[in-house]
Amino acid sequence: MRIRVQLRKRRVLAAVLLLGTAAIILLRVFDPATSGIFPPCPIRYLTGLYCPGCGSLRAMHALLHGELAQAWAMNPLMIVMLPFVTYGLVSAALLELRGNGLPEIMLPAKWIRAFCVLVVLYAVARNLPLYPFDLLAPGAMLHL
Amino acid sequence: MFCPQCGASNADNAAVCVQCGRNLQAVIPVPPIQTPGVVLPPGASMQNYLVFAILATVFCCPATGIPAIIYAAQVNGKLQAGDLAGAKAASDNAKLWCWISFGVGIVGTVLYILLIMLGLLSGLHSS
Repeated sequence: MRIRVQLRKRRVLAAVLLLGTAAIILLRVFDPATSGIFPPCPIRYLTGLYCPGCGSLRAMHALLHGELAQAWAMNPLMIVMLPFVTYGLVSAALLELRGNGLPEIMLPAKWIRAFCVLVVLYAVARNLPLYPFDLLAPGAMLHL
Repeated sequence: MFCPQCGASNADNAAVCVQCGRNLQAVIPVPPIQTPGVVLPPGASMQNYLVFAILATVFCCPATGIPAIIYAAQVNGKLQAGDLAGAKAASDNAKLWCWISFGVGIVGTVLYILLIMLGLLSGLHSS
């Protein structure tokens, strides 16, 4: 029974890894800014406002081409978060595979709440038509 | 037993490690590495799903991702306070909001693909 659960988990993990790899290849080959095969941010589409995630796909596309400045300009918060998110994802995959993940960093609850506030402030700042906040809008730093 | 320093296999009553010479008698037994299938005592691996909550906020839906992050913070807060039951409840909520965000993201993507297909169809029709 347990072996069967383990097998199912591994299949799910394999599927997720496969999808992730496919997404990375698609992001490397196609430019989200021009190709139109990636869905636009629904919030941007419906309201015209930038959300905290706007520019993430373009940033990853730039990153996959080694263009750090371009990636940073598209979504600086995402670039900052990327190492932590990658670490967490690798840990989660290992947890599924062998039962224990990477050493867990126990963040104080206060830090996570502060991060939450930061995300909201970031979302507001990106939409302010006011220097220097407007630099946080996707791609704005490229036109300095 | 295995040497905690170099991992070499030694006799159970060995005084020092045959490979690295480490004193094995004074060694406090290391907790066994969790292997797949070992059932953990409740609370031992409390996940806060913070990484998935962040991913959900960025890629799926900030409106539903933020509650997931808040619950993730609650998991850590309650664990620090020693409230295992509360941490478990917060963990379940964090997971739930991650899944809701994921669902919203999937629905949004499917809707977008449908819209594009409709656009293509109407384009074919008009031309």
